[in-house]
Amino acid sequence: MSIETPNLDLRDSYTEKYGFHDAEQSVFKSRRGLDREIVAQISDMKGEPAWMRDYRLKALEIFEKKPMPTWGPDLSTIDFQNIYYYVKPTSEESKSWDDVPADMKRTFDKLGIPEAEQKFLSGVGAQYDSEVVYHKIQEKLEKLGVLFLSCDHGLKEHEALFKQYFGTIIPSTDNKFAALNSAVWSGGSFIYVPKGVHVDVPLQAYFRINTKDMGQFERTLIIVDEGAFVHYVEGCTAPTYSSDSLHSAVVEIIVKPGARCRYTTIQNWSNNVYNLVTKRAVAYRDATMEWVDGNLGSKITQKYPSVYMMEPGAHGEILSIAFAGKGQHQDAGGKVIHCAPNTSSKIISKSISKDGGRAGYRGLVKVQKGAVDSRSTVNCDALILDEKSRSDTYPYMEIEEDRVTIGHEATVSKIGDEQLFYLQSRGIDKEEAAAMIVSGFIEPIVKELPMEYAVEMNRLIQLQMEGSVG
Amino acid sequence: MTPATLTYDINSWTNAALDRAARRDEPAWAIAQRRAAAGNARALGFPSRDQELWRRIDFRTLEQAFPSLDPFRASPPTRNLDDLPPPLLERLGGEAGRIGLVVQRNAGVVVEQTAPELARQGVTVCSLDRALVEHADKLRDRLGSLIEPDYDGYAALGAALRTGGAFVYVPDGVEAAVPIRLFHWLDGAGQIVAPRTVIVLGKNARATIVEEQLSDSGAGEAIAFHLGGTEVFLGDDAKLVYGTLQEWGGNVYHYSNQRAQIGRGAELQWIQTVLGGRMVKTNSYFNLVAPGGHAFVHGFMFGDGRQQFHLHTLQRHLADHCTSDLLIKGCLKDRARSVYQGLIQVAEGAQRTDAYQANRNLVLSDTARADSIPGLEILANDVRCTHGATIGNVDPEQMYYLMARGLPRNEAQRLIVEGFFAPVIDRIPLEGIREHLRQVIQRKIG
Repeated sequence: MSIETPNLDLRDSYTEKYGFHDAEQSVFKSRRGLDREIVAQISDMKGEPAWMRDYRLKALEIFEKKPMPTWGPDLSTIDFQNIYYYVKPTSEESKSWDDVPADMKRTFDKLGIPEAEQKFLSGVGAQYDSEVVYHKIQEKLEKLGVLFLSCDHGLKEHEALFKQYFGTIIPSTDNKFAALNSAVWSGGSFIYVPKGVHVDVPLQAYFRINTKDMGQFERTLIIVDEGAFVHYVEGCTAPTYSSDSLHSAVVEIIVKPGARCRYTTIQNWSNNVYNLVTKRAVAYRDATMEWVDGNLGSKITQKYPSVYMMEPGAHGEILSIAFAGKGQHQDAGGKVIHCAPNTSSKIISKSISKDGGRAGYRGLVKVQKGAVDSRSTVNCDALILDEKSRSDTYPYMEIEEDRVTIGHEATVSKIGDEQLFYLQSRGIDKEEAAAMIVSGFIEPIVKELPMEYAVEMNRLIQLQMEGSVG
Repeated sequence: MTPATLTYDINSWTNAALDRAARRDEPAWAIAQRRAAAGNARALGFPSRDQELWRRIDFRTLEQAFPSLDPFRASPPTRNLDDLPPPLLERLGGEAGRIGLVVQRNAGVVVEQTAPELARQGVTVCSLDRALVEHADKLRDRLGSLIEPDYDGYAALGAALRTGGAFVYVPDGVEAAVPIRLFHWLDGAGQIVAPRTVIVLGKNARATIVEEQLSDSGAGEAIAFHLGGTEVFLGDDAKLVYGTLQEWGGNVYHYSNQRAQIGRGAELQWIQTVLGGRMVKTNSYFNLVAPGGHAFVHGFMFGDGRQQFHLHTLQRHLADHCTSDLLIKGCLKDRARSVYQGLIQVAEGAQRTDAYQANRNLVLSDTARADSIPGLEILANDVRCTHGATIGNVDPEQMYYLMARGLPRNEAQRLIVEGFFAPVIDRIPLEGIREHLRQVIQRKIG
């Protein structure tokens, strides 16, 4: 994510700002397509233990058996056999920017990563195609026992801990794309925060796709031990290619009693990326899990971060922004599952569609048997900026208890003429006024972002709005 | 997707239906429609549980019982109103003769009456079978035009078997002088009835219609199946107040499709109550096809025992400047289960749409379950669309307030539930029916 760089993303100028690509010079690239041989090859290249290799091969079988989803956006144009499933950019993961190959370093420099690390992050991971090329955490956190590694290194260096949790929150049988990720995963973050440790500045991972026709399948596993806190931020961009890329991540989070985890995503993929992601967290007694999910880029996004509240007092929160411009379909949302008494959750979704884009909210509130005195509120607001665009709201509520309080509200509207008139009569031109109204619309979520991201988000929205009011 | 295997001999049923239609001199187009529907029903089979609208309700027990059902159970001879079942007469409350009336008993219509005022106004109230012979021109482009012929296997089967149903026609500019009441009665178990009702209001016409569905209480496991369909056509500036009250006995499976087409400036007020039946599934679509149309939909369901209700509504804004306002309330006790699945669709260009959809659920026991799935699909930008859904239990503070004033617990609960339903009951056009509904609610709360 380019922080404090003067030129920010605008979908029209995306190509210029983020849409560039380096010459391909990977050290290894699997052949196109997917079969047992490729999956075994990925595992061999990584020198993984036998159990992981078996796990991958089993997941491949599951992927092949599972039908494509029959609901939601049209995914029939994905050609699974035209994709490179593993592209290894360098031979080694670096701990210093100096060791990162010049091309890649230039890319991350352009995106502002090293600068941001120095300024306000506790640690940074940078993934380029299939592998993490750089990973660094502040020494003082390392001394407290905080682990922030690429997922591959997590497996290598902390196998017991890794194996205890990997695939327990999202089994490979969960859905077709989770199975695919389980078969070919590579990169992503592995985070462990020990009991009582507060990581007060965010950890960040940055995901970059460079190779054409490539699939990125990062895997993230976060364990926040009792009473600990961590804020993890991820950003993503890719070059603009005429053919489509696939990004299918799996993120598993365990929030132990009394702990709190916040996971912030600013997804800004280029408009040729299918972004099909499974994200799920379990929160135990008095723990809090918060997803802050901003979806601005990609061709199609299907992402419904979920929180399972397993023990009394657990709290789940999902804040979601989806902005769909021309040719984009943002099928975003969230799921909260109340499995224990006295749990609470809140979902706030803001979606904006423009230039024929389609943005929506698809969500689930589920109260399981026995989860008495659960409380949940869902608020979905949608703004449609022109007559070509579309907004969808599909909230599901499945309630198996009577002693609960569940509410859902949604509105869909356009920018109010009166609001525009009010601002214009105070000398603000129409375009700026519309941008101000949109900023106000998403404000409840933006204010939850770290300062630097809030500034970035507002500017992104402003730029997206440029030229939008005739 | 391969359809679920049919458990019964569909050919012998549909052939029998064609024979019966031919003997009644149904017009050729209507018979052709039955034949096409039979083909669809064969091809579609029973709905698969993968289908979004069939995931949350289970008709398998009914489907297994299909071979034992009689699709053409004869009506007992009815010389006059006194031959009707007493509960039905009680509901009529001596109004017969002063209203328009159609009574269907089992597979056939046994009473058709038009009050003299209605006859003078040119209002037609009769069985669909009669209308197909005497008013075929008015049905030709309407019957089967709103319920999609391949909507699902049940809808197709209903169109092929079609037994009974009513036809109401109010000419342009006429305000029907008296209410029109339609009754459906089922004797016992072991039968399937598939009535199709068509209601047509001409330009600037007005009418009040109440449809009631009753059966003898039908204890035990034996099943009866009501497979209904209603198509409503409102001409420009027409206004229809339409109540459908479902109070089947506990042995009845109910599946029905309602469709309404609402013309320019026309207004539909539809009040739906769902109280009876074992498993109930309804799909109600409101098509606002011309500017300025209004659809007001109010419904409630009250489930007890092991009743399961699945209400699906669709507010389809196909033209600009239309309003739709929908409120569905559900109350559940014991092991009852309800699903409300609603959608507002705003088509491209349907600017200035004002659409509202609310679903409120009151769950009275910890073994009951309510699911709510309100949705929006909006393809126009100058709109105001809002929906809300809540699921909760009786507010302990309200209970405390009432009990502190000396009311016993169940009485306090009854008052709260009555208050919960009051906004819907108040909209039902006939006072006798309102009073009756209050009694049913009281009985259900126990």
